Amino acid sequence: MLRDRRKEYLAAAVLVGPFVVIYGALFVWPTIQMLIMSFTDAPLIGPGDWVGFKNYVRILTHKLFSAAFLNTAYFVLLTVIPNTLVSLAIAMAVNRLKGWKQGFVMACFFLPYILPVSVVFLTWNWIIDVQYGMIQYLVRPFNGGQGLSLTRTIPFFMPTVAVVTIWWTLGFNVLLFIAGLRNVSPEIYEAAALDNAGRWRQFSRITWPLIWPVTALVLTIQLIAQLKIFDQVYLFSIGGRQDATIVLVQYIYKAAFQQNKGGEAAAASVILFGMIIVLSVLQYQLLRARGEK
Amino acid sequence: MRKSIRRLALASTAFFALATGAMAQQTVVWWDFLAGGDGVRMKALIDGFNKEHEGQITIEGTTLEWGTPFYTKLQTSSAIGEGPDIATYHLSRIPLAVDSGTLSPITDEELAAVGLADDQFTPAAAEAAKVDGTRYAVPFDQHGLILYYNKAMLAAEGYIGDDGLPKGLDGMENFEAALAKFTHDDQVGLSMPTGDRYRAVYSFFGQQGGTMFDADAGGFFPTDEDLAKLTTATATMARWVEKGWTPKQIESPAALATFTSGKAAFFIMGNWEVPTMTDLNAKGELFDWGAVQLPVLFDKSAAWSDSHAFVIPANAGKEADPEKRAAVLQVIKWMDEHSISWAGAGHIPAFNAVRDSAEFKALKPQSDYAGFAATAVFDPRTILAGPAAPLGDAWTNYIVPATSGEIDPAEAATQMRDDLNGQL
Repeated sequence: MLRDRRKEYLAAAVLVGPFVVIYGALFVWPTIQMLIMSFTDAPLIGPGDWVGFKNYVRILTHKLFSAAFLNTAYFVLLTVIPNTLVSLAIAMAVNRLKGWKQGFVMACFFLPYILPVSVVFLTWNWIIDVQYGMIQYLVRPFNGGQGLSLTRTIPFFMPTVAVVTIWWTLGFNVLLFIAGLRNVSPEIYEAAALDNAGRWRQFSRITWPLIWPVTALVLTIQLIAQLKIFDQVYLFSIGGRQDATIVLVQYIYKAAFQQNKGGEAAAASVILFGMIIVLSVLQYQLLRARGEK
Repeated sequence: MRKSIRRLALASTAFFALATGAMAQQTVVWWDFLAGGDGVRMKALIDGFNKEHEGQITIEGTTLEWGTPFYTKLQTSSAIGEGPDIATYHLSRIPLAVDSGTLSPITDEELAAVGLADDQFTPAAAEAAKVDGTRYAVPFDQHGLILYYNKAMLAAEGYIGDDGLPKGLDGMENFEAALAKFTHDDQVGLSMPTGDRYRAVYSFFGQQGGTMFDADAGGFFPTDEDLAKLTTATATMARWVEKGWTPKQIESPAALATFTSGKAAFFIMGNWEVPTMTDLNAKGELFDWGAVQLPVLFDKSAAWSDSHAFVIPANAGKEADPEKRAAVLQVIKWMDEHSISWAGAGHIPAFNAVRDSAEFKALKPQSDYAGFAATAVFDPRTILAGPAAPLGDAWTNYIVPATSGEIDPAEAATQMRDDLNGQL
């Protein structure tokens, strides 16, 4: 018995070993390095001197960092829940279709998701262009007949990028929701229909509770993805007032690659890392607790 | 002493290599950030070099993404000895590169070994290639802000002189009168991308003789007078926007399209758009156009300018290879000597012999605006300068919104000064 167990341990080690080694070398070790670097005044490349918590104090009292934090929070607010709701609505509509029609419509919604961010940016940049964009036909009547740059006018920047992001990424969420909806047994709906339950009641009492685990998953994936927002915000803000629309990852990018301050960038990364862990664990636990109630 | 022996050895190696042609086949790894019309021309130059030096030197060229990606990759790879043997660089960014230890100095002797010297280049570029008297780059071109114009439109209003070039545009009053005259219906006087307005503002600042940076006098915009000059320059552009002489918000492709579709009399942009116009014109899709130096609106002629140059990355930890270095210098010399084809991309060759040649003088409109190279204003010599650097960010964060009326020009100028000085 004892020998068997030892054998099992050996087999387990052999099977798990490669992963642990790669994970350790490519993730854990760099993370530890980053943590150490965040307490030094190192440039982007090369060693630096130990400076204690100086980088953290500097970042947390830096006006631009607060701006980056608030902009990121605002972006999360504008995308996470709206994206989830829109995806759910589309998934429910698509789920009612049958056969090839369902596949076709699903593919249509999924298509933007496979586009690289640069293509999404270029496409939308023309759609919203002040002089030649189609969106301007909708904007002009509300702006006294004048075109309005949606990405250069600061109050419109985040909502515009949020809409583009939702359009771009909802395909994947729709897919998750459809998988969830298909798992709900049709007999339950039949039984409910026999009991004279209306559409809304079926949704609120059957669909919503039964796909809650999927919803919680989508919300969590969304939260993590949007806290790490960078590409779209960066691309749309090039040539504009980047400081006014800066987000956290962009702050890190700026410190590391533009200002050659490796230590400060590492400290900002550690702060963001901590924030994502705490928030996502908290959110997931909260959502799970709600689901079990 | 030891150093000079090494230099001597280096120089003589290069000399012998040249004289005997016995140099072993060298491969020079080359990185650049040149896309579009620039990229096509540089590729042709590289091919030309390789053909002419078959069996001796081969350039292995790679083109990377312009801006921060290029400079970050060069810095990080040079720090671990994995960088290229030669790279293109913006002279405005040299101080930052030297500060981060990316570049290897290039001595007078090394240049002399291939027959080059500072006085063969435009003085502004030769100067900008140095930090504290040490040379870190060899200039290739000077590029800058120029005024493109629609010839028929200008002729109709009597703005074309007997020599076929625009006249009567110098002086703020005259130029603003022209802008007003050309603005009517859906046509504007000036098309210029919003994001590039700061280059015009910096030119106007230079035309007033302002000092942007002086480390000894306290950093950016050292005197109130300098700040006032920046405010005036910004307010000028803001006034043009307010009067409707130029679109308030317009992106680069749209600004170009506005000019090329005949909806603007002037287009202020870097000379890198010259190939675009030339190609469109050759296809018969563009009206008769031209380009000249920016008009003098203040006290003297000045235009924002930068320079493409060649650098040798420091490649820390990599063993020095004198033969390779000699080959790299050969490449640099050859490129400068053949920079006439580079002028096709709109740039002004920094190499005097090419710029003064009959061939360049015959090149239009390049030779019409080549004069800007002499009165150009470069970015100040600070580690915050250069493309994709804090100075560029400050321009777009403060001055560009001030030109569209979002911030008061005086306030923007103060904010820009304080932000930059805070980063020193």
